Amino acid sequence: MTSLDQRSGTALQIPDTRPFAARRFTLFLALCLVLIAALLVLHIAVGTLNFTPLQVVRALVNRAEEQLHRQVVWGLRLPRALVALGAGAMLGTAGAILQTVTRNPLAAPGLIGVSQGGVLAIVAYIVLASRSVQFGFISDAGLVLPLAALIGGITAALLTYALSYAQGSDPVRLVLVGVLVGAVCSALASVLLLAARDNEVQRIVRWTVGSTAGRVWIHWHTLWPVALIAIPLGFLSAGLANVLQLGDGVARGLGVRVEGVRVILLFVAALLTAGAVAVVGAVGFVGLIGPHAARRLTGGDVRRLFSLSAALTANLLIAADIVARTVSIGWLNTVFGLDVPTGAGLPVGAVTALLGAPFFLYLLLRRRSDV
Amino acid sequence: MAQAVTTVVSSELAPRTTNPARAVRVGLVGVTLIVALAAVGVLALMLGVTEIPPREVLTIVFTEGGARVPRIVIWEVRLPRFLLGALAGASLAAAGTMLQDALKNELASPGLLGVATGASLVVAVIVIFNIAVPFGTRPLFALAGGLTAGITILFVTRLTKDPVRMILIGAALSAFFSAMITIVVVLGEPEEIRALYSYLVGSVIGRDWDDLLLALPWIAVGLPIALLFGRPLNLLQLGDDMAEGLGLPVFRTRAVIFAVAIVLQAAVVAVCGPIGFVALVAPHMTRGLLQTTDARQVLPISALVGALLLTISDVVARELFSPAELPVGLLTTVIGAPFALVLLRRLITRKAHG
Repeated sequence: MTSLDQRSGTALQIPDTRPFAARRFTLFLALCLVLIAALLVLHIAVGTLNFTPLQVVRALVNRAEEQLHRQVVWGLRLPRALVALGAGAMLGTAGAILQTVTRNPLAAPGLIGVSQGGVLAIVAYIVLASRSVQFGFISDAGLVLPLAALIGGITAALLTYALSYAQGSDPVRLVLVGVLVGAVCSALASVLLLAARDNEVQRIVRWTVGSTAGRVWIHWHTLWPVALIAIPLGFLSAGLANVLQLGDGVARGLGVRVEGVRVILLFVAALLTAGAVAVVGAVGFVGLIGPHAARRLTGGDVRRLFSLSAALTANLLIAADIVARTVSIGWLNTVFGLDVPTGAGLPVGAVTALLGAPFFLYLLLRRRSDV
Repeated sequence: MAQAVTTVVSSELAPRTTNPARAVRVGLVGVTLIVALAAVGVLALMLGVTEIPPREVLTIVFTEGGARVPRIVIWEVRLPRFLLGALAGASLAAAGTMLQDALKNELASPGLLGVATGASLVVAVIVIFNIAVPFGTRPLFALAGGLTAGITILFVTRLTKDPVRMILIGAALSAFFSAMITIVVVLGEPEEIRALYSYLVGSVIGRDWDDLLLALPWIAVGLPIALLFGRPLNLLQLGDDMAEGLGLPVFRTRAVIFAVAIVLQAAVVAVCGPIGFVALVAPHMTRGLLQTTDARQVLPISALVGALLLTISDVVARELFSPAELPVGLLTTVIGAPFALVLLRRLITRKAHG
């Protein structure tokens, strides 16, 4: 296909209402949901203490053979799996929204400054608060860190929008400004890290990469309220986003207030991203891959894209977390003579980056005329 | 030296006529900048935890005299740091000028094109995995990383003429390399991580003669070569077809220009880390200062501007929260990003108005 075809194809994406596509969409969505359930069980089953799927299910419905199973499943593994599920769904929706709004297939939650803003707020809080507290250890749990990340992420998003505003906003400008805002935020975060104490350095780095290690119910309880508000908001605005895809001129001609719609969508995406970053840190690339795969499966109709992207990305993040929990990095120690604490394992953000990187390069090389 | 090259080239074939008044003006600007740089140099050697009066600074630098302690402070700590800052600034600015003209892209700079992050990734791997590479070869490895990133960018952007799109791809590639860097960082010890982060912001804190000598050969070769490219850059500004018509082997020239720019950037990254935005800002300031886009004049002057920018930033970063020192890269990023924003806005509005 020539580049001309591609371009007109994306610019004039007529909402695909053929019954077959609709049926296919339902099928895919159902498949994704089933897969999520299966991956959840698998996620809970693997670990230092291996369970059979049956044991997991029995523990989940409170009919465990042993008390220990119930404790491990309910106390440790289920909340972590749920956090991965929720964060994945949020990042997937945010990525789909951003790719639609900016009409840019490379747009992702990490590329408009929201993640970096959230991480900056977290790092700032950990470093500054631990200096003022007597026995400075600031726990990851509690409401303060998520709130800080939310405020930081949304501030970054607002800043990006405000700075890119000149007689109306422009998708390309938005992404470029976002890149710059993100660069400044991460430079500031790096400097703060220099001021951190030794025992906090590792933890801060894990926030910047994104990690689900040690997430328990309290984290889930800070995650779901944001998800419950923001994901439905995203789905509801899908109809408007659909029109936005046609281009600003056409959308305006159809009576859509382009500027307002764009602000709403951006705000929802920022909320979703900041909510996820607040709990798991800046997990990269899933918010890029998920929406792409979803678009490949359903076509351009945003109403289907958003929900399928949420489900797919949740799958991705749970799967990545399973890999992060099971893959041993002990071989690194033997090969490079490192002294890495292997018990901690890879953070999930490292796994998503490793999985996402080849995909990303493929994307760059394939769409060079269309990016 | 650069002036001599300029006159030789201009008599041969010049896309622009250079009148004597302009040459005088460029010379004046150049001299002013050199004087300013010297002044900043004195300031950089003066200020610090132990302040040394300017008279004593001059005595110490130019004669054998002076008290013992200030002598050591200046010769072992402050002078190499200042010289490294000046050289790094000049290299970055020259690399930025070359890339901007060769790509016909006002936003191009080694940092925004992913070259800096590519080079940093390699250094991060070396630091964290404790890979035993001979000390002197580190720039070589940084160079390999920078080249890989640069070639990828070139390959990917081969088909696009749109500067904004090219920057987007560069930013995306940078994000990719940054992700790789964080993966590597996670595996490190707290001390290594902190050292690496201080490096990743870009800093000249604690750099001594060894570090300077590490980068010096690359810069000493790269910078003069860069200054020779005024005329080809002028031709490339006219567009590929025109340049080809005027007898310039466009593809080959551009490849060489890229290689030189990447060498300069990689040498700086290997020693100081990716100091952001100097390469973007300095050429634009120079063009504004000289009121011309003639690369033969912009190249040498922008190198001076870059050296001045970096050394001033470093003095400020050192003194702002003294005795605590900020990495200079933080300052250049915080100041440079708004500048990039203004540039971007101008570029896009111009595009919108045809």
